[in-house]
Amino acid sequence: MPLLQVHGITKRFPGVLALDAVDMAIEPGEVLAVIGENGAGKSTLMKILAGIQASDDGEILIDDTPVTIDSPRRATELGIALIHQELNLCDNLTVAANIYLGREPRTFGLIDREAIHQGATTALTQIGLNIAPNTLLRELPIGHQQLIEIAKALSTQARVLIMDEPTSSLTSEEAKALFIVINDLRGRGVAIVYISHRLSEVTALADRVTVLRDGQNAGELARTAIHHNAMVSLMVGRNVSQYYAHQPHEAGEIILQAEDLVVPAWPEHPLNFSVHRGEIVGIAGLVGAGRTELLQVLFGIAPALAGRVLIDGEPQRLHSPVDAIRAGLALVPEDRKQQGLILEMAVADNIGLPGLHRHHRMGFADYARQNADAEQLIQRLSIRTPDAGQIVQYLSGGNQQKVVLAKWLALDPRVLLLDEPTRGIDVGAKEEIYRLMEELAATGVAVLFASSEMEEILGMSDRTFVMHEGHITGQLQRADLSEEAIMHLATGKAA
Amino acid sequence: MNTFLLLLLCPLALAACGGTSDAPEQAAKPQLAFITNGVGAFWTIASKGVEVAAKEFNADAEVQMPGEGVADQKRIVQAMLARGIDGIAISPIDPDNQTALLNEAAANTNLITHDSDAPKSNRLVFIGIDNYSAGRECGKLVKEALPDGGNIMIFVGRLEQLNARQRRQGVIDELFDRSFDPERRDPNSGVIAGDKYTVLDTRTDQFDYAKAKAQVEDAIAKYPDLNGVVGLFAYNPPLALEAIKEAGKTGEIQIIAFDEEDPTLQGIIDGHIYGTVVQNPYRYGYESVRILAALKRGDRSVLPKGGVLDIPARQIRKDNVAAFWSELKQLTGAN
Amino acid sequence: MKKIFGILGLLVTVFALTWILEPRFASAYNLQNIIRWTSLFGIISIGVAFVIITGGIDLSVGSLIGLVGCTITLLLADGYSIPVALAMVMALSLTIGLLHGLLITRIGLQPFVVTLCGLLFYRGFARWLTHDQVQGFGSSYEGLRHLAIGKIPLTDSFSIPIPFFILVFIGIIAALFLNRTIWGRYLLALGRNEEAARYSGIQIERMKILAYVICSGTAGLGGILFALDVNSVQPAAHGNFYELYAIAAAVLGGCSLRGGEGSILGVIIGAAVMRVLYNAINILGIPTQLEFAIIGAVILIGVIADELIRRMAANRRAARES
Repeated sequence: MPLLQVHGITKRFPGVLALDAVDMAIEPGEVLAVIGENGAGKSTLMKILAGIQASDDGEILIDDTPVTIDSPRRATELGIALIHQELNLCDNLTVAANIYLGREPRTFGLIDREAIHQGATTALTQIGLNIAPNTLLRELPIGHQQLIEIAKALSTQARVLIMDEPTSSLTSEEAKALFIVINDLRGRGVAIVYISHRLSEVTALADRVTVLRDGQNAGELARTAIHHNAMVSLMVGRNVSQYYAHQPHEAGEIILQAEDLVVPAWPEHPLNFSVHRGEIVGIAGLVGAGRTELLQVLFGIAPALAGRVLIDGEPQRLHSPVDAIRAGLALVPEDRKQQGLILEMAVADNIGLPGLHRHHRMGFADYARQNADAEQLIQRLSIRTPDAGQIVQYLSGGNQQKVVLAKWLALDPRVLLLDEPTRGIDVGAKEEIYRLMEELAATGVAVLFASSEMEEILGMSDRTFVMHEGHITGQLQRADLSEEAIMHLATGKAA
Repeated sequence: MNTFLLLLLCPLALAACGGTSDAPEQAAKPQLAFITNGVGAFWTIASKGVEVAAKEFNADAEVQMPGEGVADQKRIVQAMLARGIDGIAISPIDPDNQTALLNEAAANTNLITHDSDAPKSNRLVFIGIDNYSAGRECGKLVKEALPDGGNIMIFVGRLEQLNARQRRQGVIDELFDRSFDPERRDPNSGVIAGDKYTVLDTRTDQFDYAKAKAQVEDAIAKYPDLNGVVGLFAYNPPLALEAIKEAGKTGEIQIIAFDEEDPTLQGIIDGHIYGTVVQNPYRYGYESVRILAALKRGDRSVLPKGGVLDIPARQIRKDNVAAFWSELKQLTGAN
Repeated sequence: MKKIFGILGLLVTVFALTWILEPRFASAYNLQNIIRWTSLFGIISIGVAFVIITGGIDLSVGSLIGLVGCTITLLLADGYSIPVALAMVMALSLTIGLLHGLLITRIGLQPFVVTLCGLLFYRGFARWLTHDQVQGFGSSYEGLRHLAIGKIPLTDSFSIPIPFFILVFIGIIAALFLNRTIWGRYLLALGRNEEAARYSGIQIERMKILAYVICSGTAGLGGILFALDVNSVQPAAHGNFYELYAIAAAVLGGCSLRGGEGSILGVIIGAAVMRVLYNAINILGIPTQLEFAIIGAVILIGVIADELIRRMAANRRAARES
């Protein structure tokens, strides 16, 4: 008998039919993966189950009994717990306090610290985490914090655990630890709804896969039918034969060269490397290996402590993004919403922002030209937007990322830096971004990208640096590239 | 004095100011404080009186002008008490509700009031005009200016001060020929109509000069039949004059003033202001220091009977304004 | 244009209601007074709007107006010529703005703290500079005072106060600067998202400093005009709370305190709403004691109505797009 069933759930937002009669069911002790491109309706469905949003139509049954979930509190009572993609924890409180946040046991109105300590210890044991409950949350690595979220859910006696992209900020070691916990929970009869873009995880973990596309059920895969290509074709509604467009090509002369570059976070490891014309170079490594910090030094966000950067053999002073842009560098930053875009501004205005100073008459901006250039880039990158005046925040993640790229393409950079270029965007948009990187390399741009996705590194790079704790532990040519070789270097075992 | 240099030197200047107050004290000199109810030219004249008396009676007297109202005044009083001051002369802003503070001061030092009284407190003496009588004097000026009656407006900084209330009441009672009763109290705003004269309204401005001016303008706009404007605080008449001048209504709307700001006196000379009722702030300052210094030296004979030292108000009109002004300049040492 | 719809509605409503209740409200004399005061407050509100657009705040405006009022009279009394005295106080104001900007961007202090200290310092300094004496121009400088109290006849019965022309001039420059120049765009962008603006190669420190310089500059100009208008500058009180009136006008006019949003026309209309309210209270003979209560309530109603209208518009647009 299914523990949780969903029949014909429909949800309308102004102008959008987010969910169109979606069905879903899950048994106790089952891991059900729910996948789909961004905007397919996964998050909305989960929010309805967690009582954050109300459905317009359809019914939800628990143990074959219809229920109404009109608030997060009601969802908790029914045994449903949602773990958000972004952690909802207070890092200034202890682990125990976080686990009991909002439902602290009290005696005479005061928090019963003893009871919290006891309960937290039990919850931590359940997830196999051996830490003191009175540890401050911020002292834990991000992977452990994720596990605390799970402990918190379990301590509410959750029977259905919904995880939304739980590994998006975890290292692969931390992710492995998480999978062990998930397997353990499965053994104890907890039903787990697992949402992820990472299809390899789904393949490894899921008992069954439900695919959503444009707010509708697009298909279901039983355990034996869960394969990468099968999932992708259900998600995009077509067969994807060639996932990556990479065509290795001849590298030209050196454009970007770093000599004894000292990154502020790791002053003890000066870095030396170069990137050639028309070359796509990947930077691999675990979370915290220093990839983002390196890119930020190159782009002048956090100036280097020592060493120098040469572009076309000329030493550059990179003390601010202004300097970096003048030197021909461009950065697609890691955090698209915070660093890449001004979400409340129009597509054309975002695209035009870095180049505004290039065409002005006595300070007066040439908006006609900006908009014309933006129209061209919207075409070239096939950014899906009603028009150039659309506010960026209403675009999907993939299209937003393309707007970030368009900002820089307008300036014809010599070196394109990308930090996690495809994080959190759907398969179709990923493919288009890869194709763009290809195109740019073909026109002679030097492309340097950092990624946590192994498939991306393997698929896209002509050459790969692997970083570990602030230094480059090795370089791999395309011929030598393999997952094992990268992991070997990424965990600090120098080649 | 070169203002621009001063501006450039401001941090140094500030440091220098801080340095001078800790000069060695002479134990024999009474330490006295003269606390005003705000800031203004009126109090500058009083300061001169304080200065002269301090020299004459061998005392150290300090003038404190609270810029921010009741709370500021309280802060100053308590700071003075903490320093072990030998005597305080104060013009309480809100006497009824400051009784506790005043009694706290009276318990620890010699406390007298000036300008505005606090009869419910344990002050030793009040030095000043009887504001109600002064108000009646002002009312007489209104009657002279508008012998056939008319509509007037009253403008004042704030009405929670006893002196403001009493002045206003004096004006109203005089206009309506009521009996002499300082305890009478008409509502704070709205129309008060009599046979000959009508008080159209009373507006307060909380010492915001721009607002004080705007309120006169608004009154001119609202009442085409406005005949007279009474400004009860020193800055009110000059601002009323500005507004009436700009509206081109000089002579048409009479101004009756209180106190002796330069523009007020000039207005009387020019014939734009009918007259003003003046106090003698110089003597407030002088007498306060004289009495406090004597009290500190154990001489209680300086206390008048009845606890009030009356410094009567005077009416200034076109005929005596020149003489008054030169006397004033002499007192303040102004050029 | 859509953004100022709500505030314009509020202005028209208050205007119409007062007119119906008291026909003399619309007399030429009264309208001229409202226009003059709106112009003075509008000028300082425009400057404050620039700072609010960057997501900052300037609390020192009122004290700076007091300091400028005292300084200009002292300088003239010292015998400086009018142009030199005006240039000196404007230089003083702009320097103060530069100082605010540098403290905020280079040392990284919070705008609230920096300008709060400014509020206290300039007030105290003005009082010390003048020995707390009330300053004025007396009956001299009539020509200069014309800037604030002069009028230019439009018809036989209606004249336009000169400050209105100053407001229009500054308003047009400010609107062009904000909406048509690259720097205006940079201010709006960094107000929305400072980090993304930085990553886009915008020199955010310089732009923020510029905003504080503009704000103190208009406050300085406003300070000169207020002093000329009132002709009586009390060092301890002149300009008290004007920063709050300016902030209220800017917020009424569509500036978000979160930054990144604002329209110059809206701010001017916001200042007009404030002045019409003050005037209406006097014209209708509402007790002065109720003044703040009424103004607070009307602003709150206006802001609520504006928010509701915006939401309705957003919903309608979403519905149309589907």
